[in-house]
Amino acid sequence: MSTDSILKLKDITKIYPGTVALQKVDMEIRHGEVHGIIGKNGAGKSTLVGIISGITTPSGGSMYLRDRKIAHLSRLDAKREKIAIVPQEPQVISDLTVAENLFLGDYPHRGPLVDWRAMYRSAQEILDKAGLNINAWAKAGELSISEQQLMLLLKACYVERADLIILDEASASLSQDDEKIYYALIAEQKNSGKTIIVISHRTEEILQVCDRVTVIRDGCSVATVDCSGLDKRMFSALIVGEESAGVNSVFSRCHFGGAGETALSVRDFTRLGYFEEISLTLKKGEVVGLAGLRGSGRTELFKAIAGIDPFDAGTLDIAGCPGIPSSPSQALERGLVYLTEDREKEGLIAGLSVRENMVLNSLRKISRLTFIDRKKERDLTGRLLETFEILAASPEQEVNQLSGGNKQKVVVSRISAFGPQVFLLDEPTRGIDIAAKDSILRLIRENLAQDAGVMMTSPGLDDLLLICDRILVLYKGRIMAEFAREAFHEGKIFQTMQGDLAV
Amino acid sequence: MSKKLKLQLFLLENMIWVLIAVFFLFNAFVTTNFATPRNIINILYHSSIMSMLVLGQGIIMVIGNLDLSLESTLAFAPGLTMLLAVNWFPGTLGPITCIILTLLIGVLVGIFNGVLISKVQVNPFLQTLSVLIMLRGLVLFLVPFSIFPLPEAYSFVGQAWLFDKIPAAIVVVFLIYFIFHIVFQYTTFGRKFMATGGNARASFVSGIDTTKMVIIAFALSGLLAAVAGLLTAGRQGSVNNSMGEGMVMLAFAGAILGGASLEGGKGTPVGMLGGAILLGMISNSLTLLGVQATLVYATQGALIFLAIIIDRLRIYVRNRLLHQEQLRKLKLENP
Repeated sequence: MSTDSILKLKDITKIYPGTVALQKVDMEIRHGEVHGIIGKNGAGKSTLVGIISGITTPSGGSMYLRDRKIAHLSRLDAKREKIAIVPQEPQVISDLTVAENLFLGDYPHRGPLVDWRAMYRSAQEILDKAGLNINAWAKAGELSISEQQLMLLLKACYVERADLIILDEASASLSQDDEKIYYALIAEQKNSGKTIIVISHRTEEILQVCDRVTVIRDGCSVATVDCSGLDKRMFSALIVGEESAGVNSVFSRCHFGGAGETALSVRDFTRLGYFEEISLTLKKGEVVGLAGLRGSGRTELFKAIAGIDPFDAGTLDIAGCPGIPSSPSQALERGLVYLTEDREKEGLIAGLSVRENMVLNSLRKISRLTFIDRKKERDLTGRLLETFEILAASPEQEVNQLSGGNKQKVVVSRISAFGPQVFLLDEPTRGIDIAAKDSILRLIRENLAQDAGVMMTSPGLDDLLLICDRILVLYKGRIMAEFAREAFHEGKIFQTMQGDLAV
Repeated sequence: MSKKLKLQLFLLENMIWVLIAVFFLFNAFVTTNFATPRNIINILYHSSIMSMLVLGQGIIMVIGNLDLSLESTLAFAPGLTMLLAVNWFPGTLGPITCIILTLLIGVLVGIFNGVLISKVQVNPFLQTLSVLIMLRGLVLFLVPFSIFPLPEAYSFVGQAWLFDKIPAAIVVVFLIYFIFHIVFQYTTFGRKFMATGGNARASFVSGIDTTKMVIIAFALSGLLAAVAGLLTAGRQGSVNNSMGEGMVMLAFAGAILGGASLEGGKGTPVGMLGGAILLGMISNSLTLLGVQATLVYATQGALIFLAIIIDRLRIYVRNRLLHQEQLRKLKLENP
């Protein structure tokens, strides 16, 4: 065991009911290094961050903090051990001033009284030193998200004076100028002997700031490598795994490239700050993948098309009829349904039964003069349970009691029963186990795409490579490239997702 | 899921009727003259007004809102109607027109609440509080003395006895509950309504016009408050400015007893009926037991408090049962 390690993980696993989030993670963070953690969406990064920052308790394996074995880390331990976390979404108290936020929980005091003068003086010093043009008296809520993020980093560095700083995708919300300050801060902290962990899904950022990087794939730590001399293409290959295994046998028999009439056509669709000038067409019988990193605008684009979120400009045709739906109920009327990425908040009605959830979109089909025909309802429910292979004790069971995969199938079966022209599926395979994932993908390809156009996103590229006819790559709100099925190449697509076209 | 568990869940789900049975049996032995047909009719008759408010509050709570203005609407709808019919335009409005007008005023008050809450996003507590005070104030201003006599047809539902045995009010109440039961259990509207209450965001995303659902909920509760006003006016044979005062909090209690929850998504008309009847039984038995009139209100409050604690216990037991079932299943799947 090397003595210069500050944090060491050995055989860490994390099992959630129904899924294995981490299988086997080994990682060693050395004193004074900038260590990166990278992986695709769904690889297990966020679970790992939860474990090293003391939010999640691992199911197995051992952790060593400064060569001392610890069962798990609590937030209090973390604070005592001088470990600080800068989370993905900045958490500030908007009604307090910048200085109060900086010193929150650790106000400088003279006797029992808070020494406000000293607090504002040192807050302003910290801000000025970092080159941030922020007044310590300003309310934190008045700062931009980017400035709030930097403020939290400054708190970790200069107020908490942490020895180990964990940056959880903290750069995601930074503006370009603030990004420079952020990198400078990391370099400065490193020079003063601090250790920093940078979690990111951007290869560029990792290569720029890190000394070493651990790659996470499918819940395992694949490798820890030195960043110097690592070239981008090799790195990408490491992240996505061995060169794409090609078409999975289960799906090779599927019928690809259905070229029916146009189901959806979008022209110059724009929502400022989220996506710009998106133009695409979707044909019936086609499955089109929308690949993009978190924050690339995938969800926002889907939600704007479905009438849930606003948009600024552009035109839309659904099955030949122009006009943009202004609400989801209008979209439904026009034959377009959206499957949410957030199953619990926006998908299921938790307190209702499986049956009531399933028929929610097809009430008109199973009713006469608004009275529900119980027999038609039973038949439809039975048919859906069978087609979608949903494991429920009975259709009357509360939907909340199903497993993640079966819950997802309930939502997918619900929208499929409606029989729309266009499906927009936002991460249909999110948070479900492998078996359920395969069957959902098969159902999308074979059932949903039969009489409709399907557009979908996915936390990883694998699903898209399996069942899509085409893949569009979205980067910072713009469509960067389109890959036809013959030209699928996971490494290339992954690189394009990073904004790198020079393949 | 075993049969035993199913039965346990069923009983917990319909706890209100179990409570009613227990309370009834207890009183049948302890309170003289309680379990007589006459007294049962009496209980139902005296619960009829409250049962309308409980149903109104209940469906508002199902959709995740609350309505404080019910008790003022109860006075305002018949008050304004009778002012028009008796004082301002005497002889021009027939009794049937008056009934329709009363109901219409209730619906309009409800729609006003619903539009402000769902479209303008006013907090439901503040919105209905201001309407509660405003309408009561208007009633106090416009109806300084009670208005009587009322047209006979107008007071029919509140006053009449059918075949000298059953008050018309009971029949009307059961009819209304029956219609609400059918609408909520068997129509597409009922499904959409329950879904909106269960998860408004998910319902909106899945294509339900949730704004409309909220407005309809308030329109219905306004309508029910107006019916309650009609029953009150009929029973008293007059309209005065203190009708309904202090009833809205008891209506809350009744709705919660009947299975509604402040988080929304829970409750059925049948449950609400149970809640209203239990309230009525409590106050009736207190009267029969000769509890001092000045102490009735506090005792009522204590009993309601007890019932609500039992309800919390019910939810706790239910979650525990479901949790154990879940653990058992997990063990079966991953031995």
